[in-house]
Amino acid sequence: MLATRRLTAGYGTVPVLFDVDLDVGDGESVAIVGANGAGKSTLVRTICGLLRVMGGEITKDGRAIQSEPPYRRAELGIAVVLEGRHLFDELSLESNLRIAEAQGRKRREARFDFRFDEVLELFPFMKGRMSAPVGVFSGGEQQMVAVARALLLKPELLILDEPSTGLAPKVVREIVGVIQALRKKGMSLLLIEQHIAVAAECSDRAYVLSLGKVVQQLDQHSWHLPSTTDALARAYLGNRT
Amino acid sequence: MTFTLLIQSILAGLTNGFVYGLIGLGIAVAFRGARIINAMQGDVALIGAVMAYSASVSFGLPMPVGFVIGVVAGGLTGFLVDRLMIRPTLKRRGSEDSLLLVTLGGAFAVSAAVLLYFGRDSYPIPGIGGNDIVDVFDASMRVHAIWLIVISLAVVAALRWFYAKTLVGQALLAASIDPEGALTLGINVGRMRALTFGLGGLVGGLAGVLVAPLINIQYEMGLLLTLKGFAAAILGGLSSPFGAIFGGVLLGLVESLAVVTISSGYKDVVSMTLLIAIMIVLPQGLFGRRGRLGG
Repeated sequence: MLATRRLTAGYGTVPVLFDVDLDVGDGESVAIVGANGAGKSTLVRTICGLLRVMGGEITKDGRAIQSEPPYRRAELGIAVVLEGRHLFDELSLESNLRIAEAQGRKRREARFDFRFDEVLELFPFMKGRMSAPVGVFSGGEQQMVAVARALLLKPELLILDEPSTGLAPKVVREIVGVIQALRKKGMSLLLIEQHIAVAAECSDRAYVLSLGKVVQQLDQHSWHLPSTTDALARAYLGNRT
Repeated sequence: MTFTLLIQSILAGLTNGFVYGLIGLGIAVAFRGARIINAMQGDVALIGAVMAYSASVSFGLPMPVGFVIGVVAGGLTGFLVDRLMIRPTLKRRGSEDSLLLVTLGGAFAVSAAVLLYFGRDSYPIPGIGGNDIVDVFDASMRVHAIWLIVISLAVVAALRWFYAKTLVGQALLAASIDPEGALTLGINVGRMRALTFGLGGLVGGLAGVLVAPLINIQYEMGLLLTLKGFAAAILGGLSSPFGAIFGGVLLGLVESLAVVTISSGYKDVVSMTLLIAIMIVLPQGLFGRRGRLGG
């Protein structure tokens, strides 16, 4: 589905990511964990095209996409929920969703065809609030609008950057529920998450990122061992200087 | 002050106000869709007016054809401003200030080009309905001015519909509210900006051909129009088409009432004082919501 090879990227002329090799297989959910400043968000922004690649390659189904502009990557089936959500605050919920729906229509042969009403069923709170500007919604609701918007693009790969950050535990459970439903459907997921327990629950494998490099790969078995969580948590504390 | 004089000054203020409002409308369109203040808006109107003049007076084409040519020339200018000036500046990570300076430079360039090719003369374009006049309570108003008001209001209504009801309009707003969010949804933000400038250019060209019959079109009027249009747009909240027209009318009325009650020399003093006062009391303008979206 998605792969990066020796991916180097950063801001201006300063690289933040170094030689990152990453694979997300068809229907697989892969987590990226790492401390603050490890380069997780930089990785997301580079994959979706908001940051320029300095070296290496990004491929989608074997095709190099690193020189495609960001808006083309959405058409290629890569949808992202950025950290901070990036909703159109002043526009109504309906407008936010309809804009995404219109863009999703450009993808004729989509494996996952989320129709407007299907997405509404995933997020029942939206019914009856269609004309409210999304800026007035709570953090959790906004996160769900961002996910709904991404799904309307009919992606094959959904990238979620810190979906649980700053949300109440009950809301996190709801988001986990949506992620599990998407996994069951067979959608590929790339999940960036600080909360290791949530990450482990929602993914098959994981990469540990530290100071812009992949320092550890965890296969399905070791990623889901209870001791792993502790070990990673300790490693994070070690990283905090 | 007699009643007739009062009515006459209100009519004059209304007419001027819609002129300011039409220029402000183009500034509001550019700001709403791209967060950029286009200091060339008055000069886009100048180009529209000069092209309409050339087509109809110099080349003898029928007036409506000249009218359309002027509007299209404005739209084309707006598009080229984006492609040749805004886009390269943004590519080099130009700040808001550099964008403003670039368009200001463009304004001087247009003014100089018009001086070079058309000279210092002014260009009278016949208005809609020629020089016909209607009487309003003993005071008079040109038929053309009434058309200008009607067309301005129609353009505002059309823009409101475009932004609120069409997918392109919505995508355009989305691209300006959160460019990164729009990009990740597959919206070509650069194309939306080009569209915004094209649209602002069309409005500017329209302003030019509508304003030309009422004021003397000559090479140095662009910046003055921009200044008044900018004031109108700011009064209205900078990103609201309706607000720009309202701000323009307010400005025009205050000016003309200042002329009859104080002195014509204080016209600009009074209108700019009003602008400063409103900026202090209502920094978002009369119709601005956090300076972003107005009605």
